[in-house]
Amino acid sequence: MRALIAAILLGCTMFLTPIAVAETPTDAPDAAARGSEEEAAAQDAAEERAAQFVGVRGPEAESVPGGALLLGAYAIVWLLLFLFLMRMRGLQRQTADELERLSLEIRASGDR
Amino acid sequence: MSNTRQSGSSTVWSLVLFATLALFAATLYAIFIYAPVEQQMGIVQKIFYFHVPSAYAMYIGFGVSAVGSAGYLLKRDARWDAVGVAGAEVGTLFCLIVLLTGPLWARKAWGVWWTWDPRLTTTLLAGMIFAAYLALRSMGNAGEVEKRFAAGLALFGLVDLPLIHYSVQRWRGVHPTVITGKGGGLESEMYWALGLSFIAFTGLAVLLIWARASIERQREETAQLRFELMHR
Repeated sequence: MRALIAAILLGCTMFLTPIAVAETPTDAPDAAARGSEEEAAAQDAAEERAAQFVGVRGPEAESVPGGALLLGAYAIVWLLLFLFLMRMRGLQRQTADELERLSLEIRASGDR
Repeated sequence: MSNTRQSGSSTVWSLVLFATLALFAATLYAIFIYAPVEQQMGIVQKIFYFHVPSAYAMYIGFGVSAVGSAGYLLKRDARWDAVGVAGAEVGTLFCLIVLLTGPLWARKAWGVWWTWDPRLTTTLLAGMIFAAYLALRSMGNAGEVEKRFAAGLALFGLVDLPLIHYSVQRWRGVHPTVITGKGGGLESEMYWALGLSFIAFTGLAVLLIWARASIERQREETAQLRFELMHR
């Protein structure tokens, strides 16, 4: 009886072992392969970084700060207007000085 | 009589000045608080409320310059010449505002600072024509020949103005057409902000042209007086 039970167990073991081996996930070799791929990719990326600089193109690639652009635009408007007013003030002062000089000349020539 | 006219002119000037200042305050409120942020472009779209009225003020300036220049060529009156110079300077100022604020919006909306779009190109051309006018006039004391040549240049520049305006409709370009041609329009709050800005910039352009023409007239009279004194 014992021999029969032992024979059944041996048979089952022999029958089931190949299935169990086939169904066992082969993590170890895959992990090793992945590791080597990542290593290679990192090496490639490192080489790429070292070899070239690639500029961003288009609005999707770079986030443009709208607030700063808006502020810049309004600053330009007020700055240009201010500079124009300063120029007019300069011209007016120049004319006033010239008039003053001419009136002095006229007075001096009248005294003579 | 002259004093009465001067006093009336001064009153009108003050009225326009205070109205423009009040309008600018209302415009800033409308732009930044009343008008909503645009869905696609975000806050940078608010450049539009100063950019477009500046372009309109540029038309006013260059138009006035062309009218003054035509008047000078016909009548040889220094007052017309002063109007021509004032219009050219103010128009160039607003043209510069348009050409500098536009790229700031374009960088966000188009992804580039500048593109050779028909409207952009014709605006740049107008700016260059009137910059040449001002360069010619700034060469020392402009004589009669320089004044006449500059007046002709202003009339030539006038031809470019309709090209700027209709370029978006006639030629294919990327410039927005929200308020011209077959544009989709604006929301009502946006229309209000833009409308107020248009009126404020009109007042500003009128004030600046007025002040600059007045200064130019005084400069001309001073030069005339100096000439008479020298040849007395």
